[in-house]
Amino acid sequence: MHDLYGAWTVTHKPKCLAEIVGNTEAIKQFVDWIKSWEKGVPRKRCVFLYGPPGIGKTVTTEVAANDFKMEFVEKNASDYRTEDAINHFAGLASQYGSLFGSRRIILLDELDGLTGTSDRGGVKAITDIAKTAQFPIVLIANNAYDPRFTNLRNYCLLIEFKKPGAGEVAKRLKQICEKEGIQADEDALKFIAQRSGGDVRSAVNDLQALGQGKKKLTFEDVSWLGYRDRQDTIFNVLRMIFYGKTVFSAKQAMNMSDVDPDMLFEWIYENVPAHFTDPHDLANAMDALAMADVYRGRIRRTQDWSLMRYVVDYMTGGIAMARQNTKASGWIPFKFPTRIMMLSRSRADRATRRSIGNKIKRRCHISAVRASKEVLPYLRIIFKNNVDMAARIAKWLDLDREMVEYVSGSEEKAEEIVKLMG
Amino acid sequence: MSFEMWAEKYRPKKLDDIVDQKDIVERLKSFVKSRNVPHCIFAGPPGTGKTTAALCLARDLYGDVYREHMMELNASDERGIDVVRETVKTFARTKSIGEIPFKIMILDESDNMTSDAQQALRRTMERYTETCRFIMCANYSGKIIEPIQSRCAPFRFTFLPREEHDRYLKEIAAKEKVKLVPEGLDAIFEVCGGDLRRAINTLQSGASLGKPVDAKVVYSITGKASPADVQKMLKVAMDGDFLEARKQLRDMIQKYGVAGSDLIRQIHTEIFRGDVPEKWKIKLADIVGEVDYRLVEGADEEVQLSALLAKLVEAGNELKTEK
Repeated sequence: MHDLYGAWTVTHKPKCLAEIVGNTEAIKQFVDWIKSWEKGVPRKRCVFLYGPPGIGKTVTTEVAANDFKMEFVEKNASDYRTEDAINHFAGLASQYGSLFGSRRIILLDELDGLTGTSDRGGVKAITDIAKTAQFPIVLIANNAYDPRFTNLRNYCLLIEFKKPGAGEVAKRLKQICEKEGIQADEDALKFIAQRSGGDVRSAVNDLQALGQGKKKLTFEDVSWLGYRDRQDTIFNVLRMIFYGKTVFSAKQAMNMSDVDPDMLFEWIYENVPAHFTDPHDLANAMDALAMADVYRGRIRRTQDWSLMRYVVDYMTGGIAMARQNTKASGWIPFKFPTRIMMLSRSRADRATRRSIGNKIKRRCHISAVRASKEVLPYLRIIFKNNVDMAARIAKWLDLDREMVEYVSGSEEKAEEIVKLMG
Repeated sequence: MSFEMWAEKYRPKKLDDIVDQKDIVERLKSFVKSRNVPHCIFAGPPGTGKTTAALCLARDLYGDVYREHMMELNASDERGIDVVRETVKTFARTKSIGEIPFKIMILDESDNMTSDAQQALRRTMERYTETCRFIMCANYSGKIIEPIQSRCAPFRFTFLPREEHDRYLKEIAAKEKVKLVPEGLDAIFEVCGGDLRRAINTLQSGASLGKPVDAKVVYSITGKASPADVQKMLKVAMDGDFLEARKQLRDMIQKYGVAGSDLIRQIHTEIFRGDVPEKWKIKLADIVGEVDYRLVEGADEEVQLSALLAKLVEAGNELKTEK
């Protein structure tokens, strides 16, 4: 099965419904609807699967067709741009029995692709098919609530596909790594999963780009994701800033390459303490960074990007000029900015903390804000030390697995607690 | 399902169950008897029974169906003017069905409402007095605008006296079959200062360790439960270890979600204590003030505060060379 050049999104496409990441509720609804055809034509002959890209709408249909041994007919937007085109296959697809007597499922993918007035007939024709189809019809679009679909929606069972959580995506990535024989750090996979924002397809693509042909995948390997700069360029820039003799030469460093200023800021912020050891120099360098940050804040607020030049002034020249007492001594390595990893993780953490706060609020007559400050620390202690009590509390508060994992701080504990929750 | 957090499980259900705050309870009972409740402000420190008293009042007034006649809103979560305009107003203006013609709106942590929202609330309170009575719970009644204060009957909640506090915790410990030794009880009171919610939470998490709750257990818990160990971080910085201090700062902000504004406040207090050289104190206060302002402006908490830590390293170094 080792296809060296195949896209992993194809080679590792789910083979059965259980392999699809998340959306269990939606998939169940979909399967129930297909089963209902066994008892004759149901009231809604058409399902409309909608949701953001890359989360398994098409795959679900394909896999279901396979599971139920149905003949699978797929059409893309380009196939039904006009009423004529659609009528052409409408008859073929829905009115006549399949050649071998097997059942058929018809997928009309990428309905969003229908645009403009000339396509309007297309939606009407699809609506007509939806009214009279003799076979299950599956429609897929990112947004089912587009006004063009108003009438069509009446004849469809709407099923929403949602973005799966980063944890679920990471789990799928891990399975793929196992099949590819890659030993991957949990952190690395979580980083990829979080960056994809729930888009499983893009996460798998990223994983392939970073991991193909490797035996091991570490956080360092993936942290470059999305940053086009190469490590050696960054090191040169940092050296010129940290050890520049003039403001001009330090500022030049920035122009030498097209480093992303925010990323460079993090590199400087991480490495300043090791390269400015004199307390006075350190304070000045940190001061310069703080000022650069103030200007970044102003840019964020005003969206006036011309202020960027002051950010650059402070984080290049400001840093270079902070060196008064520290002598350049020996070779000090540059370290990767750890904060990047923590930031992406803590963003997810904040969201989890907020949802736990909301769960506590429902039960404990206390605001979500205060709950996460005042109740959560005690829950942490309980969840670490007493799984029985933790399981009862988790059930009472209606915490889900991800929340339990967050409170208990470890996967093994969470496993135990969830098991006890029954 | 039964209550699993003891602080909820042992929350009094009726006014009669509330043993402390006697004067307040008496007055609230007289409201129930006369079947009339004015707008109220329940002011007092956290964990003294404000929300409990409001809930008990509602239950005594309406019986078991009290939830249909009452709404609880947390101003910390929903403090904008829109909430007052929409949620509160919609609730307040619809008539209650039943023998009591008004409903009760509990606005918890209402000192966190913006003053705009309070202004909007003031009109709502006035217009719909007949159909809705407000109970505003707050830590500081001073943060509630005058016009609302003048429309409300004030109630001042105070910390539980030591005997009540002890009796309460002992009762819970007995019912939950937890061994609570006297030194443990002392420690809880010392650490929580009469805040009953914290005290009960401390007791429960202490019990989760599966051994008798003594002073050592209590201190180990509160150590973990208050990760904002600002004092320690400042000391590390003063001793010259910037990287460690920055790591502690990062943990507080990212791991434990301590708000930058809270840290600033604590740092400001700490500066004036302890080992900071006299001539640095005001200088540092100025820097703290500057950081405070920058954070309001939307700067990065960690970057700004670590620049402050670097200043402390500098101050600590100066102190060393002077000696």
